[in-house]
Amino acid sequence: MVPQFAPPLDVTFGDNCLTRNEWICGKYYETRSEELQTALVQHVETVLASVLLGLVIAIPLALLARRYRTLEGIVVGATTAIYTIPSLALFSLLVPYTGFGLRTVVIGLGLYSLTILVRAILDGLAAVPADVRESARGMGYGPARMLWRVEVPLALPAFMSGLRVATVSAVALTTVGSILDYGGLGDLIIEDSTFKAQVLAGSVLCVALAVALDVVLVVLQRLLTPWARAGRRTKAVVG
Amino acid sequence: MKKTLVRRLAIALVAPLMLAAAACGSSDDDGAKAAGAVDGGPVTIVGQDFPEADVLVYLYKGLLDHAGFQASVKNLGGRDLYLDPLKAGTDFQVSTDYLSSMTEALNRAANGDTAPVVASNDPAATLVELNKLAAAAGLTALKPAEAQDANGFAVTKEFAEANNLTSLSDLGALGQDLKLAAAPDCKKRPDCGVGLAGTYGLKITEFLKTGFGGNDTVDALKKGEVTVGQFGTSDPVVEKNGFVLLTDDKGLQNAENLVPIVNTAWLKEHPQAEAALDALSAVLTTEDLATLIGQVAIGREKAPDVAQAYLEAKGLLK
Repeated sequence: MVPQFAPPLDVTFGDNCLTRNEWICGKYYETRSEELQTALVQHVETVLASVLLGLVIAIPLALLARRYRTLEGIVVGATTAIYTIPSLALFSLLVPYTGFGLRTVVIGLGLYSLTILVRAILDGLAAVPADVRESARGMGYGPARMLWRVEVPLALPAFMSGLRVATVSAVALTTVGSILDYGGLGDLIIEDSTFKAQVLAGSVLCVALAVALDVVLVVLQRLLTPWARAGRRTKAVVG
Repeated sequence: MKKTLVRRLAIALVAPLMLAAAACGSSDDDGAKAAGAVDGGPVTIVGQDFPEADVLVYLYKGLLDHAGFQASVKNLGGRDLYLDPLKAGTDFQVSTDYLSSMTEALNRAANGDTAPVVASNDPAATLVELNKLAAAAGLTALKPAEAQDANGFAVTKEFAEANNLTSLSDLGALGQDLKLAAAPDCKKRPDCGVGLAGTYGLKITEFLKTGFGGNDTVDALKKGEVTVGQFGTSDPVVEKNGFVLLTDDKGLQNAENLVPIVNTAWLKEHPQAEAALDALSAVLTTEDLATLIGQVAIGREKAPDVAQAYLEAKGLLK
C-alpha cells in the first residue's frame, strides 16, 4: 500500500489576478492571446464548415420533399429525430466511422443544422403566394426559372431567419466538440472549469461570435432583398 | 468540403480580433530532440479533459520528442472514447493512465460490466492483473510512477489538530457524527461512502453532493457545512486551503499510480519509447504531481511550460 499524505506545495505563486482567480483579468489576455486566437479561428472554422455542410444537404432534401409530398413527412421527421440525439452521444457514435478529427464535429453539427434549415426552406417556399406562382406560370416561367426568379427571392426572408438560427445554434454547439478536443472556445472552457478568467473569455467570445455572425447574415439578407427595404420606404412615404 | 475556403473565411472574420494580438508571434519551436536520437516518427499521446491529464500529456510529449519522436497530444472527454482506438493503435499509441482505473476498464471490456474487481490497494498486485488484461488487448503497461491520484478525504487543520487526527482510523475512533462533501456517487461506492462506514466505522449522517474536490467542496469544508471533504490525493487545493488529507491506513483505496499504457505493436517497432517514459515514472512522486497541477490550476501557468520546466529540472532532457 502506498501511504497517502497531504502533498506540500514547494512553490509559491505570485499575487496577481490570475492566481487570485478573478473573472476579469488583463494578465490572462496578455498571456493567452495566442490560445484564444487559435481557439476562435477553430470555432469559426467549425461553425462555417458545418453550416455550409448543412446547406449542401438541406437544399436538395427540401426540394425533394417539396417535389414528392410523401417524402416531406419522412425528411422532416428524420432531421428532427437527429436533433434529439444528445450531442455527446452523437459524436461518440460518429467516431468509429469518421475518426477523431475536426471532420466528426463538423459532420455532427451539420446534421443538427438540418432540422432548422430543411424546415426553413420548406416554410419559405410554402409561403410563396399561389397567385404569384400562377402569374409567373402565365408569363411562361418553367419550373427552374420559377424557382430561381420567383420562389427563391420570396422565400429568402423565412430561409434567412432559419439560417441565422442554425448559425447561432452551431456557435453554441461547437463547444461540445471539446470531448474530441475540437471544441474551439469550448476547449478553453472545459480545460479547467474553475479558471474564471478563461471561462469568461471563452463564453464572452462565443456570444460575441454569435452576434457577429448574426449581424453578417442580417446584412447579407438586406443586400439580397433590396425590395424589402424599398417597400418599407414607400409605405413610410405614403403613410 | 472546401477546407481552404472555409479557413479563409474564418480568418477573414476574425482578422480584426487577430490584429490586436498580432504582436505575439507563434513560437511553437519544440526542437528539444536529443543529439543522436533516431527519428521515431509521429506518435499521438491521449489523455483526459482535466488539468492533471493536461500536464501529463505534455510531460510524455516532452520525453518522446526528446527521444526523437514527433509527438502530438489529445485530451478527450473520457477513457471510453480512446480505449478501442488505443488497442487498434491507429489514432493513438500512448495514453496517460491510472493503474486501477485502467485495469478495471480493461476488465469490464473483456469480462463484462459485472466482472469481479481485480484491482486492489496493492500497486504491484494490480500491475500483474493489468499486464494480463493489457496483453490480451494488444496493450502494454509500462513502469508505473510512485505518483498516484486516488480518492482522498480531508478535514480542516483546526479540526485535525483539535482531535489529533492523521488517519481515517483516527477519525473513525472519534465516533462523531460526520457530514461529508463528495462526488454525487460517493454514498453508494465501496471506495467512498460504503467503505468509509464499513472499513473505518465513520458515522456519516449526511452526504453533500458537491463534487470530487472542486470549489464547492472547498467552500463546504471551509464554511464548516461539513467536517470531511473528498479530494484527489494529488489535488493542490488541499494544501492551498490548509486542509489535512487523512491517511488511508487500512488501504480502502485502489492503487491509482500513474502508468503509461502503450500499444504493443507500436512499442515493438519503437522500443526506445519505453526507456523515455520509464525515466519519468522513476522520479515522479505524488508531491511533484500536486506541485505541477498547482502551477497550472492555481498559478495559472501553461501546462506545456510547466511540463517542460519539470523535465529540465529533473534532468530528463539531457
